[in-house]
Amino acid sequence: MLDLLGLTSAEELFSDLPKELRRKKFALSEGRSQQETYKALAELASRNATYKSVFRGAGSYVHYIPAAVTSVTSREEFLTSYTPYQPEISQGILQATFEFQTMMCELTGMDVATASHYSGATAAAEACVMCAGKGRKVVTFSNIDPDTLDTLRTYLGARGIALEVLSADNGNAVLKSGTGGSVLYIQSPNYYGIVEDVSLLVSAAKAEGMKVVVGGNPLALALFRSPGECGADVAVGDAQPFGLPVSFGGPYLGYMAAKREFMRKLPGRIVGETKDAEGDRAFVLTLQTREQHIRREKATSNICSNQAHCALTAAVYLSLMGARGLKDLATKCASNAHYLARELTRVGAKLFYEKEFFHEFVTITPGKASALTAALERKGILGGLPLDEHRILWCCTECVGKADMDEVVSIAEEVL
Amino acid sequence: MKTVFEKSVKGRRCFEVSALDVEKYDFEAGALRSSLRLPELSEPEVVAHYTALSKRTFGVDDGFYPLGSCTMKYNPKLHEVIAALPGFRDAHPLARADKMQGSLAVIDTLSAYLAGITGMDAVTLQPCAGAHGEFTALLMVRAYHRARGDEKRVKVLIPDSAHGTNPASAAMAGFEVVTVKSDADGLVDLADLSLKAGEDTAALMLTNPNTLGKFEKHILKIAEIVHEAGALMYYDGANLNAVMGVVRPGDMGFDLVHLNLHKTFSAPHGGGGPGSGPVCCKAELAAFLPDPQVTRTERGFRFGRSDWSAGRVTAFYGNFGVYVKALAYIVTLGGKGLREAAVTAVLNANYLREKISYFYPVGEGRCMHEFVLSMRKLREETGVTAADVAKGLIDRGIHPPTMYFPLIVEDALMFEPTETASKETLDAAADALKEVIELAYTDPDALHSAPHTTPIRRPDEAGAARDPVVKEEL
Repeated sequence: MLDLLGLTSAEELFSDLPKELRRKKFALSEGRSQQETYKALAELASRNATYKSVFRGAGSYVHYIPAAVTSVTSREEFLTSYTPYQPEISQGILQATFEFQTMMCELTGMDVATASHYSGATAAAEACVMCAGKGRKVVTFSNIDPDTLDTLRTYLGARGIALEVLSADNGNAVLKSGTGGSVLYIQSPNYYGIVEDVSLLVSAAKAEGMKVVVGGNPLALALFRSPGECGADVAVGDAQPFGLPVSFGGPYLGYMAAKREFMRKLPGRIVGETKDAEGDRAFVLTLQTREQHIRREKATSNICSNQAHCALTAAVYLSLMGARGLKDLATKCASNAHYLARELTRVGAKLFYEKEFFHEFVTITPGKASALTAALERKGILGGLPLDEHRILWCCTECVGKADMDEVVSIAEEVL
Repeated sequence: MKTVFEKSVKGRRCFEVSALDVEKYDFEAGALRSSLRLPELSEPEVVAHYTALSKRTFGVDDGFYPLGSCTMKYNPKLHEVIAALPGFRDAHPLARADKMQGSLAVIDTLSAYLAGITGMDAVTLQPCAGAHGEFTALLMVRAYHRARGDEKRVKVLIPDSAHGTNPASAAMAGFEVVTVKSDADGLVDLADLSLKAGEDTAALMLTNPNTLGKFEKHILKIAEIVHEAGALMYYDGANLNAVMGVVRPGDMGFDLVHLNLHKTFSAPHGGGGPGSGPVCCKAELAAFLPDPQVTRTERGFRFGRSDWSAGRVTAFYGNFGVYVKALAYIVTLGGKGLREAAVTAVLNANYLREKISYFYPVGEGRCMHEFVLSMRKLREETGVTAADVAKGLIDRGIHPPTMYFPLIVEDALMFEPTETASKETLDAAADALKEVIELAYTDPDALHSAPHTTPIRRPDEAGAARDPVVKEEL
């Protein structure tokens, strides 16, 4: 190869680089064999605690992942392909994304969904930026996910859009009139697991001329009326519960679905159906004039690489679950959570909010929150998330059974 | 091919949720939805459907993928196994930090490696993709100027050869974009830069080597101009693969860098993500990194916060599973291996360019890890376009190069072979391109109608955008 180039060393190819830069030495470790790398990283993995049962959610949910999900999504074509800019050799990932969009539209009651966003937090932030319009003030509540709230602050602050956070001391969001906001962002179930009255909040917001973005765990949508049915403009959230491991917080799957009027304003990729030169069905990335590679600084967002493989995973997961499987799953999570809540109150904890909740709830055990979670930790149980010295945010999924919950209750009984 | 919904058969089931062993909880009927339509199929049917879809997708393992600026290198299989180790896969992000020392060690170790590779002092792994890293870095730029009481720096300078994400990220971060011209060699026009850099400039965003595959050889002068204006130097790491282990952005005068772990550091692209876009910066910018940061304490690793942080940019700590793969890559290659990867990537690009150099290269001399050809002459002589050539390559088992980018080259095709292509692969690609070019002169219609070997023929993209069908009507 060097002969063809008339060179004696490949180093000569770097002659454009200033010599003073190339003289600088910088040391990194020696390379290792794959076997040694595996050993070194497996050792790091083993430093993380593993738990026999998990009662912590708060934005990251442990669910059983059917083996078929992992098997199919591990296929190298899905794993190693680039963004489908060449549709003729990308029909598989394009069609899977189109099917994902259809599933998210069905779950959220919306007309159009994007291919994915980095996380529920960035989906919420980008949706609020999109909706802010001339009023340029977003209103939300203190009961939304704290990482989402922080991400909203960052994204809105960058664009000079105001953010007002209303308190929700009794657990539920209640919108007072005269906030002067142009967008309302709510989350249901909210951070504390409480199911909000989305229809009521949407009507209140619409009366003020606000657009409404509704966030939430999409698993709850298997049971509850969708944001679209409740009159919301945009639905966002994180679809991590649909087949993605908790994986220390990522990669997860932000989704965004909206009413038809937002189709040409949405940030991020969208797959559309069309026909090929012979009239056969074909899928392509569409409405690309919204995007950065065409519009540059006038684009609706800078997003390009997103979470495509995670969206594929969710599509496979939802195909395997079906509507009945998903409803059974949501029902099991909720039933478990209500059982645990009842049993914990039997042994001395109190529910902090007396509200309808999905699969998360908050207990109050004055001064005992960290003592209780520490006692659980010693038994190999990841208890609920301590919110302060008194309150714990619990989560139950289908991965725990009655015996696991009874063990938590008996430990709680000792501590309380 | 039918969609998964069209294959659905009413009442068919596959996955059973394990039975309830507590009392079933019923929600008040008024809050419940009336219907939910999802596919109804057996497990073999679902697996067959998505397996069929996988076969209609072209990955790096299926053939040569010289997609310019995307660094489609081989993704070692070991990394998937490591990321799926139960200790990583099942780690809850809100478990106590002292119980998650393995995950925090991954963050700390990878951050230290990336700082070493880029010549920077501090790192965040939170951004989830390259564009997200750009946005994060620009927020830090703004926080930095503001902390110094400098509120007037509202403009970001960006060369006309830059990726579209640069201006889009600048706009998202609230900056005005000022375009800097390229000179005849495709490098930053120093006179134009001097004219535009001033007391309202917040930063220059620069890709080096640039999107033409040329190293900005006046980089030290560029840094001097920008710094003298009081602005910061931002390095778009999209093309780091050319110089990794050879030179460092930190030594070139850059203050901040974003990297693409899904390009340079071998994490797979997954059909468009998940990626990971860490930001590395000099010590004076460290206080502005997104919260939380991993810190070393006497009791092990902990999460810390900064009063000056530019803010959180996503939930938790970003795409952890992706950066485990990048760490595995760096551990395996080591410093010497990374350098060898870069040198081989540059050698491969020059070799392929030389093999097809009879064919309208852009610019003189050597390239770095990628190069651009212009199909303008071919189009004028035969009517065959850059897109036609790309589609012709598909029929020859090659993923097309990046088309019509950079924007400053007419009819551009941008090739990046990467270091993992063998000489035999490069020779075969050169032969395939030669065959396509010859065909353009003998039978242009064969290329206008290409590809012929794919599951579909060329789709009607204009029609898709004019009358969008973005979901299936159920």
